[in-house]
Amino acid sequence: MELWNHCENPYPFVPAEVLDEAESVRASLPNRYCDPKIAARLYDEIFDEYRLCDDLGINIVTNEHHSGINNLWAASPVITGVVARLTRKVRILSLGTLVTVRPDPVRVAEEYATIDVLSKGRLEIGFVKSGATEMVSGDANPMRIREREWEAIDLIEKSLTTQDGPFSWEGKFFTHPHVNIWPRPYQEPRPEFWAATSDLPTCAELGRRNIVNTLLFGGYDRTRQAFGSYKEARAAAGMPAPGEDRFSYMAFAYVGDTDEEGLRIGQKIAWFLTVSIKSAPQFAKFQPGNVVPEMAPQAWRAGVSRRPRPTNLDAEVLIGQGQMFAGNPDTVVRQLKEFRRRVGGIKHIIMMTRQGLVTHAEAEASFTRTARDVLPQLQGLPPIDDDEAAWEARRAAAAK
Amino acid sequence: MSGRLQVGPLELEALRRGSGRPILLIHGVDPVNPKAPFLEALARHGEIVAPSHPGFGASPRPDDFDTMYDLVRLYLDVLDALPGKAAVVGFSFGGWIAAELAVAGHPKLDRLVLVDPVGIKLGGRDERDIAHFFNTSPAELERRAWHDPAARPEGVYGLGWQNAIDERMSDADMVRLARNWDALCLYAWRPHMFNPQLKHWLRRIAVPTLLLWGGSDGIVTPAYGERYSALIPGARFATIDRAGHHPELEQPDVFVEHVARFLGSGA
Repeated sequence: MELWNHCENPYPFVPAEVLDEAESVRASLPNRYCDPKIAARLYDEIFDEYRLCDDLGINIVTNEHHSGINNLWAASPVITGVVARLTRKVRILSLGTLVTVRPDPVRVAEEYATIDVLSKGRLEIGFVKSGATEMVSGDANPMRIREREWEAIDLIEKSLTTQDGPFSWEGKFFTHPHVNIWPRPYQEPRPEFWAATSDLPTCAELGRRNIVNTLLFGGYDRTRQAFGSYKEARAAAGMPAPGEDRFSYMAFAYVGDTDEEGLRIGQKIAWFLTVSIKSAPQFAKFQPGNVVPEMAPQAWRAGVSRRPRPTNLDAEVLIGQGQMFAGNPDTVVRQLKEFRRRVGGIKHIIMMTRQGLVTHAEAEASFTRTARDVLPQLQGLPPIDDDEAAWEARRAAAAK
Repeated sequence: MSGRLQVGPLELEALRRGSGRPILLIHGVDPVNPKAPFLEALARHGEIVAPSHPGFGASPRPDDFDTMYDLVRLYLDVLDALPGKAAVVGFSFGGWIAAELAVAGHPKLDRLVLVDPVGIKLGGRDERDIAHFFNTSPAELERRAWHDPAARPEGVYGLGWQNAIDERMSDADMVRLARNWDALCLYAWRPHMFNPQLKHWLRRIAVPTLLLWGGSDGIVTPAYGERYSALIPGARFATIDRAGHHPELEQPDVFVEHVARFLGSGA
């Protein structure tokens, strides 16, 4: 298995009374609450964490969100470009810039090709559909974003792989009469594509296109179902079964010296769910396109009771749901192996560790333990449908 | 009462009432509701034809039908299909469609009534002329759209409809509201509720025109309405007191009086 470090660069420094009063902590919270001096310190700390991960062999994920306390990576290609020069060895995944918000996918392709060249072929390109407050902060029509995303992906792919351009594109959502990016990507034919989704028809399409499917906090059952959809679509199309390298999962993670420490610090990550996703109804359940109209009664009635936001998402509960991996190194190894078994095989685990109220020192300690005591135990795992003990015995016998 | 209207390849949901000269109603946020309190009185002055735009109510929307350009051509088709000269009454977003339609011109369009229309940009680039329909909180939308939200007719929604959701609302009403909201967004998210070119062409409107404005409208203010009116040759402007963005729902009698007087006048 491979491990990835994903930090959203959150900004948990706005006074609680301001957040309680605000209709949303994204899109409409005035930026006077963001102190650029604190932001500068956060960038320094997190880039240092990325350098440490480069030394440790933990890959790096960047993303972007806008106008909110949850994320200060306002432009994934910019941040990824910085990471490309700060690091030397590890893979770098941009997951991703918001192609449903950005007006010209050709520019996105060009930015990614540039990063691929300056990282000498270490870039992986991730796509996200986006939605909700991002449509507001990016003034992007929230209707038909899935169709827009697919057209953007197609145009980006053609931009990255065409070497005898210029070519012309006159699509439904994007037009560009003269596409010819310089530089072209370092990797041939292009960097690996990833996409984040748990939508089953979309997972099926990812399968047909051989794009790495990552889920975010989907838990055991939804993840297995999503990967199943991916596999079935390939089988139905007469394509070879996908390897575990086609599957990825993002969850909260904290590796402590002890289980107690893992849980205690892991608990600080839950801020992400309890505070940083507070949003106003017009940016969420009442946003056009949020659900298909037939599902609106269910989605809207759920709000009638006006339940308070969750405030005590317990780390052990999250672990039980497969949404957090936390404990001492051996415990986390057990959790990850169990997750791999229950979802039917997976290669990439994206750890969200520097999240919420977790400090720089705590994050670096977790990464160091991860590299020393977790990652080695996740190498050379038996095939997913094999019995682990029998496989180990066979491997030991073969080694003699 | 409700029926279908064949327009080219599209079969639209359409409400009809009364008889006589056609009065084409072009709806705003939601299709004209059969329970709307102005319908009976207005139907005494002609035959009301009120289609639901593609994507709204029970009207289908073909995949590539998604712009104001499409809606204007569709309503030119609708005018073709009417039996004689018609008055066109457009509400809010539908007022924008109606203004575009009148700029395009059609031999059967002979009177135009715009009721709190959106559709043009008047203020400076950092001034908002039209409250954002989608990014504004439901409570704020309701406050701006209604003179007295508590007097909203039962089962009739308008802007701020989200605040009307309660345990009594049927699933069918919710599905319709969701379809309407999605379709409105598709047509009008960006630029939000206006066509930057329309302002220059309002001078081409060549039929008698009345602009009616809710005196308490906080979605598009009466001051915007007066400036809108001044761009249309010979247009009359009138406000309706104790009404917001939907004067036809808040003051149905006064609304119908204004429209009837205008339709009956020799203007």
